[in-house]
Amino acid sequence: MAGENRNAGNGFTGRRRLRKPKATVVVADRVARSVITLGGIGGIGAVSLVGLFLVYVAAPLFLPSRLDAERAVATGEPPAGVVHVAVDESATMAWAFHRDGSVLVRDLRDGRTIHRLRVPDGPSLTCWSFSLEGDRCALGYADGSVRLGTLGFATEYVDADDVRAAGREPAIGEAVPFRRGMVERTPEDQFRYREIVLALGEPLVLAAGTLVRIDQSRGPGGSLVAALDVEGRLHVGERRERRNLLTGELATQVRGGSLDLRAAGLLPAGGIAPSHLLLTGLGDNVMLAWPDGRLLRVDTTDPADPQPAGEVDLVPEAGRRLTAIAFQSGKASLVTGDDLGRVRVWFRVKDPEGDSRDGTALVLAHDLSGIPAVATAITPSVRTRMVAVGFADGTAALYHLTSERRLVTVDATGDGEPVEFLALAPRDDLLYAQTGGAARIWRIVAPHPEASWRALAGKIWYEGYGGPAWIWQSSAATDSFEPKYSLMPLVFGTLKATFYSLLFGLPLAWLAALYTSEFLAPGARSRVKPVIESMASLPSVVLGFLAALVFAPALERWVPESLTAVVTIPFAFLLGAHLWQLLPREIMLRRSRCRLGGMVLGLPAGLWLAFALGPTVERTLFAGDITAWLAGQVGEGTGGWMLLLLPLSAVAVVAANVQIVDGWLRNSSTGRTAREVALLDLLRFLLSSALAVALAWGGASLFAAMALDPRGGFLDTYVQRNALVVGMVMGFAIIPIIYTISEDALAAVPGHLRAASLGAGATPWQTALRVVVPTALSGLFSAMMIGLGRAVGETMIVLMAAGNTPIMEWNVFNGFRTLSANVAVEMPEAVQNSTHYRMLFLAALTLFVLTFLLNTVAEAVRTRFRRKSLQL
Amino acid sequence: MREKRDMETQSIVTRPSPPDAVDLRRRPGSGENRLAAIAAGAAVPADIHAGVFASPAVLDIENFNLWYGQKQALFDLTLPIPRGKVTALIGPSGCGKSTLLRSVNRLNDLIDSVRIEGDMRLNGDSIYGRSVDVIELRRRMGMVFQKSNPFPMSIFENVVYPLRIDGERNRNVLQEVCERSLRGAALWDEVRDRLGESALGLSGGQQQRLCIARAIAAEPEVLLMDEPCSALDPIATAKIEELIAALRGEYSILIVTHNMQQASRVSDDTAFMYLGRLIEYGPTVEIFTRPHLRETEDYITGRFG
Repeated sequence: MAGENRNAGNGFTGRRRLRKPKATVVVADRVARSVITLGGIGGIGAVSLVGLFLVYVAAPLFLPSRLDAERAVATGEPPAGVVHVAVDESATMAWAFHRDGSVLVRDLRDGRTIHRLRVPDGPSLTCWSFSLEGDRCALGYADGSVRLGTLGFATEYVDADDVRAAGREPAIGEAVPFRRGMVERTPEDQFRYREIVLALGEPLVLAAGTLVRIDQSRGPGGSLVAALDVEGRLHVGERRERRNLLTGELATQVRGGSLDLRAAGLLPAGGIAPSHLLLTGLGDNVMLAWPDGRLLRVDTTDPADPQPAGEVDLVPEAGRRLTAIAFQSGKASLVTGDDLGRVRVWFRVKDPEGDSRDGTALVLAHDLSGIPAVATAITPSVRTRMVAVGFADGTAALYHLTSERRLVTVDATGDGEPVEFLALAPRDDLLYAQTGGAARIWRIVAPHPEASWRALAGKIWYEGYGGPAWIWQSSAATDSFEPKYSLMPLVFGTLKATFYSLLFGLPLAWLAALYTSEFLAPGARSRVKPVIESMASLPSVVLGFLAALVFAPALERWVPESLTAVVTIPFAFLLGAHLWQLLPREIMLRRSRCRLGGMVLGLPAGLWLAFALGPTVERTLFAGDITAWLAGQVGEGTGGWMLLLLPLSAVAVVAANVQIVDGWLRNSSTGRTAREVALLDLLRFLLSSALAVALAWGGASLFAAMALDPRGGFLDTYVQRNALVVGMVMGFAIIPIIYTISEDALAAVPGHLRAASLGAGATPWQTALRVVVPTALSGLFSAMMIGLGRAVGETMIVLMAAGNTPIMEWNVFNGFRTLSANVAVEMPEAVQNSTHYRMLFLAALTLFVLTFLLNTVAEAVRTRFRRKSLQL
Repeated sequence: MREKRDMETQSIVTRPSPPDAVDLRRRPGSGENRLAAIAAGAAVPADIHAGVFASPAVLDIENFNLWYGQKQALFDLTLPIPRGKVTALIGPSGCGKSTLLRSVNRLNDLIDSVRIEGDMRLNGDSIYGRSVDVIELRRRMGMVFQKSNPFPMSIFENVVYPLRIDGERNRNVLQEVCERSLRGAALWDEVRDRLGESALGLSGGQQQRLCIARAIAAEPEVLLMDEPCSALDPIATAKIEELIAALRGEYSILIVTHNMQQASRVSDDTAFMYLGRLIEYGPTVEIFTRPHLRETEDYITGRFG
């Protein structure tokens, strides 16, 4: 029957309708369906891809570290007399310093000696120290003299012909012995030649007797050397070199002093020499460590007058011994190993008691244990806070000390012999471990040793800080700097920005939505709404620019006035409303259209009042200078408490009014004229305002009398780019979106509910508060959540106006740094695939997840709201 | 047809007081002509029976005109609503019954384009005077809408809403009023155990009775009902009708209905309206048994409308 019309020709319209859709319609329908499906899936896919990409880049941060066995190395000769071993960048060569002053350079592929050299006066050499970076050394002699100089590998590029002339033709990437070192053919087809360089300065006589321990450091002005002689005297010498800017002459100045430890009773009974002498990087401390764990600090801030500055027991357990000790890169943190297998980090912090001579104390910051063997060798990395530790049972482990993680453990020797020497290649990519008869090389795969969940979210004790803290500081001027990647300050900053901008924007947006949907005439509403929505089209960079260059300086100029305005503007509005009530009823009803105009006057009136009162407020509450007051330099806490307590006391007074006075007023209003009641109401308002102020003042005085000071929490030092500025400007930016959604939610409340309420005799205000708002509550909530999402992700305004200081402080007058601004600021400077780079992606991922969650919650609430409103 | 009529109504606006006002009363059997004359814009005087003047009026509607923008919806209505009785407004869709009802408590004020002329008096007080406080006015009336509209709150709070907005906080007073109103609305026995539950959980008929309870909780001078049963099934309708009958005498009720039987069952007086004009108004018995006008008879017997 299909397709055939039985009534053909007799149809009501006189035409026959096809019973089957046309083929073109069917095709168009299918095409439309597939295009729409594709678009939908594409949209979901695009969002998922963004998330997946963020995960893909950030995930390697949490990959476990590895040590890949590279090769075994023939040591060539018995290691007897070797005191220090270092390897070159690609671990093709190693030099070993011997007790007798000879230095052997070996080819690590076959163990053959490439080159041999000897320091001057080798036989009388008594002590030595080598810098971590593998370039400087200090040698002490039996005659009390020292020689400072350079000992390490130096790199130069040589002519290809020279290499070929020597009969060498390495393949690309291969290294072969050449002259006194090795030549390597780089992937760019250049010949990179490395050899050992030894350059020692003239002897410097430091002591009269034999030196037993020595260390040296290079500060900004010159070199420092500290040495201990056999008599127990500590000698400190400083060599300063100053170049005359006019003549170009180099003036060398040497000065120093000594401290007789034996005379001061600081040597243990029997006069045992300390096993280690360490000089800090800044040269302000000399640390002497004994095998029983005792560590003596000597303050050498003035090299001419070294003084003991305190003692610490590094191994308090009785009978246990300190077996290895080394400075980390930067020579500020000590890494110690003991015969319990513990690896611990110590550094100096500001002494809480302050009774030590230099005001600092050496504290135990990190404690890593877990390998039950004697730690025999400690080699810190030059670049990071990673250390390689060798143990007596042949284990070698890599640790990241700051994050307190053991990254990876290997059996270094395979035969249970103790690890004697460990060396890390300068780029942290190779580990060299040597035991009595054998050595091995591992390739280190630990691209992000500092990243762990603990480091991201937990408090970490960084070198030089008073205690564990959440810190984000990705770069600094010095090499020995350790990047600090805690996301907490950024998450905090994001929350702070969101909190303050919602504090400002949310009430305004909600009230504006309520006003337009419930009180404004529909005609005006249809014009006001698009205008507010068009605020959203203001580029946030423009808002940020205004905030940073116009608003922030203006706010700084008028701090007390701005704070006063927070009180006076609402006061002016309420006063206006009460005065309006005083008008005769006839006029009030007839002139109800003028009410909006009258209300608008409240703003300038409030501002005028604020500016009129501002100086007085500053004088009476903030000792005449609010900036100094906030910085805690002048005045007492009363003003600040007043500031914080006034909103609370206002709320309390309003509550008291609602609970007590309203009923009384209602009962006593029967039989009175409207004018009398309005007068009473005005009187009540003025009295309540005065009461609120008095209450706040009383509370403030009480708190101040109890010696409590509000400064340090929400109120503190004023910084020009601060949370208040961002709160106001970002609040402005999120008003349109909150407004639009709230207004829609309010307008979606069925008209028959409004009619029922009005029909029952409720005022529009009562209708709005009792019926419309409760019904639209979930819509209002979802508007808030979406505004929250917008505030969380907002970048430009916070970037320009928040000061970008990643600090965790609720102070409304201080800045912060948000996740988004952080990514924007640092991404151009992050090296691709570095920890920093991945960390920024992780920050972006956090932001993504945060906004995704917020929007999902908002959407869920909205769907529920829609379902509920269908019931009405 | 419908469009044509609208066009004609539009044309009325250009000449609000037609010069050719004709009196068709004396010509019985010319019902179609009268309705056609109204459709053409002629001003036809209403036939008001003497019976409605028997009892004092609670509400006096005096020469009331209303426009939606350019379109006039109510034409020169003059009728008294007797105190303590049930007055039904009947008429075909679009005749202005609901508009008239909503004009009584000035809910039409909420619509921007509405303009009125004339006045109404509630117990002698002007409703549309310039210095009338509309909130005060609405407190003197209760209204029940076509669609039940309980607030999304508990049953208790729904009923005491008029007291809440008056600021009443005495729990005893609230509870007493709640119980009385619910008893008045014949709902008490059904909801007494779940006053704290959401009103949205009630059935349609219960919701409508709840709305009536809410309306009578305000102790109104007039109770306005806008097709209170049109969304309900026959059983619920019967309950509401019983309720209206029970409220008679205690309250003055003005009810709009589409249901002729309902009007005849519940009301004391009935007003028949057509295209914004009052056609005939009299005691229900007379209107339904011996109407003066043929058009009224045609309408109530279902011959048109």
